[in-house]
Amino acid sequence: MNIGGASASIPFTTGFRTLMRREILRYIRRPRNTFMPPLITNVLYFSVFGVILGERVGTVLGVEYILFLLPGLVVLGAISNSFENSSFSIFHGRWNEYIHATVTSPLSYTEMVLAYVLSSALRGVIIGVLIALVGAVFIRPVPVEHPVYLVAFMAVITTLFAALGVIGGLWARDFDYLTVMNQFILRPLVFFGGVFYSIRELPRTWELVSLLNPMVYMVNGVRYGFLGPEAVDVGPNVALVVLTTATVVVVAFDIYLFHRGYGLTE
Amino acid sequence: MPSAIETEDLHKQYGDVHALKGVSLEVDEGEFFGLLGPNGAGKTTFINILVGLVAKSSGHAEVFGYDVEDDYQMARDAIGLAPQEFNVDRFFPIREVLVHKAGYHGVPKEVAVERADRVLKEVGIYDKRDTRFHFLSGGMKRRFMLARAMVTDPDLLILDEPTAGVDVQLRHDLWQLIERLNSEGTTILLTTHYIEEAEQLCDRVAIVDQGEVVEVETPDELMSRGSDTIYVTLRDPPETPPELEDDVLDAGMRDGDLVVRAEHGGRSLPGVVRSLDRAGHEILDVEIRRTTLEEVFVEVTDSLGDEALDDVREGFEEGAP
Ligand SMILES: Nc1ncnc2c1ncn2[C@@H]1O[C@H](COP(=O)(O)OP(=O)(O)O)[C@@H](O)[C@H]1O
Ligand SMILES: [Mg+2]
Repeated sequence: MNIGGASASIPFTTGFRTLMRREILRYIRRPRNTFMPPLITNVLYFSVFGVILGERVGTVLGVEYILFLLPGLVVLGAISNSFENSSFSIFHGRWNEYIHATVTSPLSYTEMVLAYVLSSALRGVIIGVLIALVGAVFIRPVPVEHPVYLVAFMAVITTLFAALGVIGGLWARDFDYLTVMNQFILRPLVFFGGVFYSIRELPRTWELVSLLNPMVYMVNGVRYGFLGPEAVDVGPNVALVVLTTATVVVVAFDIYLFHRGYGLTE
Repeated sequence: MPSAIETEDLHKQYGDVHALKGVSLEVDEGEFFGLLGPNGAGKTTFINILVGLVAKSSGHAEVFGYDVEDDYQMARDAIGLAPQEFNVDRFFPIREVLVHKAGYHGVPKEVAVERADRVLKEVGIYDKRDTRFHFLSGGMKRRFMLARAMVTDPDLLILDEPTAGVDVQLRHDLWQLIERLNSEGTTILLTTHYIEEAEQLCDRVAIVDQGEVVEVETPDELMSRGSDTIYVTLRDPPETPPELEDDVLDAGMRDGDLVVRAEHGGRSLPGVVRSLDRAGHEILDVEIRRTTLEEVFVEVTDSLGDEALDDVREGFEEGAP
C-alpha cells in the first residue's frame, strides 16, 4: 500500500497534483483543437465588429467600440472554454469509461472535483489572455485600469463555469447534450449579456430584463477591470460577492454529486 | 489482522434485476480466491461494489477492514483492478497512463515512472510504451490491463475475467505472472467462467449463480464432491452389467462398454476387475475419468431449474478455453 493515498484528505496531495497535470496536459497537447479555434474566431470578431463595424459605431459609454468589445470577448471565450473543458473531459471519460480508473483511485471526492474544476478554469484564463493579446494587435495599448478586479473576476467566472461544466459532464448522456448546453444556453446568455452593446442603449424594459442575466455582471466586472468605472453599466462589488458565492455553491454541489456517484456509479 | 475482503449480506438491485441476493464472503489476506460463475451471475457487480463503481443496495463490504463507502480512500488505495471491459485513457501513451494511475495513488512522479517501466517489462509490452492503448493488439491490451492494475503495488489485485478471449500462450503468461504476485504476498480475487482457470490457480473458489454464492470450497474439495467414472472395454460385452462389489454407485452398459460410477475410481477399480475376472470376462481396456469442476458446477447448481441450467451451460460453452 502507498503512504500517499492514506493522507489523501490533505489538499494538494500527489494524487490531486497528478490529476491536475493529466487534465492540463490533455488540452495543452492538443492546441489545434483547444487554442486555435477561439484564436481564429476572435481575430474574426475583432476585424469585423471592431474594425469594420467599429468605425460606424464610434464610441460606446465613452470608449472606442473595439475597446468596449474586448472585455466581452474575453469573457465569452474564457467561460465557454472553461465550461467546455470540464464538461467534455468528464463526459468523454464516462463515454469511454476511462474515468473509472480515476474515480476508483484513492483521491477524495473534493480532490477529484477541484482538479477538474481548477484545470478547466485555467484553460479559460489562458484563452482569456490569448484573446486579450489578439485584441492588443488591433488596439494598442490595451488598458488595465483595475488589475485586482480583473484577476478576481476572471478567476471567479472561469471557476464558476468550469464547475457548471462538471454538472453538464455528469448529466450528459450523449455528445449532443454538450452541444445543446453550449449553443442553446451559454451562447444566448452571453450574447444578450452586454458583450456587443451597453445595456443602457436598450429600451427600458429590456434593460431591466437584462439585469436578470448573470452574464451582464460578469461582462461588466471584467470590463471594469480593463476600462474602469466609466465604461460599465453596473458596479463590480456586489457582482463579485454574488458570483463568488455562486461559485462556492456550485463547487460544493459538484462534490456532492461525486459523493453520490451521480453519472459515475450504477 | 482483518480479512482482505469481507462482505455481509450484500444486495444489489438494478431496477428490476436483483443482481446480488445477499452475498457474504470472506477472503483471507494472501489468498488466491476465485469467483466462478456463468455470465450474469453477479461477479462484476460484486467487484464494482468494492471499488465504488456500483453502489450497493444494502449490506456491508470491507477491504482490509476499511468500509468501501465510509473509508473509500483507504479501501481503494489497497486495490488494483483489471476490469473486464477495456477502459483506458485515450489521450495518453500507455506509459503515461501508468504514471498517472500510480500518481493518483500517491506515488511521486520519479518513482511512478520507474514503476511504469517495470510493470511494462513484466507484462512484456515495454517496447510499446509510447503507443496509445487504442493502437495495441488485443493480446497487448489484456497485458496492459494487468500492468495498470499492478502499477500501484496493490495489496489486493482484482482480476475480472482477465483471460477472456486470449490465446493459450498469453493465458499461461498471465497465469504465471499472477501466481508469482500471489506467492509474493498479494491477495488475488479472480473471476472467471473458465473452470480450468479456477481449478489451476485458486486456493478457494466461490461458485456464484444468479446473485448467490452456492458454495465456497477448495478446488480439491469441490472435485471430491463429484464421482469418478470407470470405463471398461470387454471382449464379449454382455447385455446387462455383471454383478459388482457394493462400493460402486451404479453400473450400466453403454456402447458396448461397462460404465461404472464410483466415489473414488482408483479405490474401486481393483474390486471391479476382480468381479469381472470371476465372471469370466476378458478385459481389453480400462479408463478412469475424474469429475471435472464443470460437472460439479452443474451438479451444485442443479437445484436451480432447467432455465438456470441452460444459462449455466451457455456460459461454459461461450467461455470454453
Ligand atoms: N448497469 C446495469 N443495469 C442493469 N442491469 C445490470 C447492470 N449491470 C449488470 N446488470 C445485470 O446484473 C446481473 C449481473 O451482472 P454482472 O455482475 O455483470 O455478472 P457477471 O459479471 O457475473 O457476468 C446480470 O443479470 C446483468 O444483466
Ligand atoms: Mg462480468
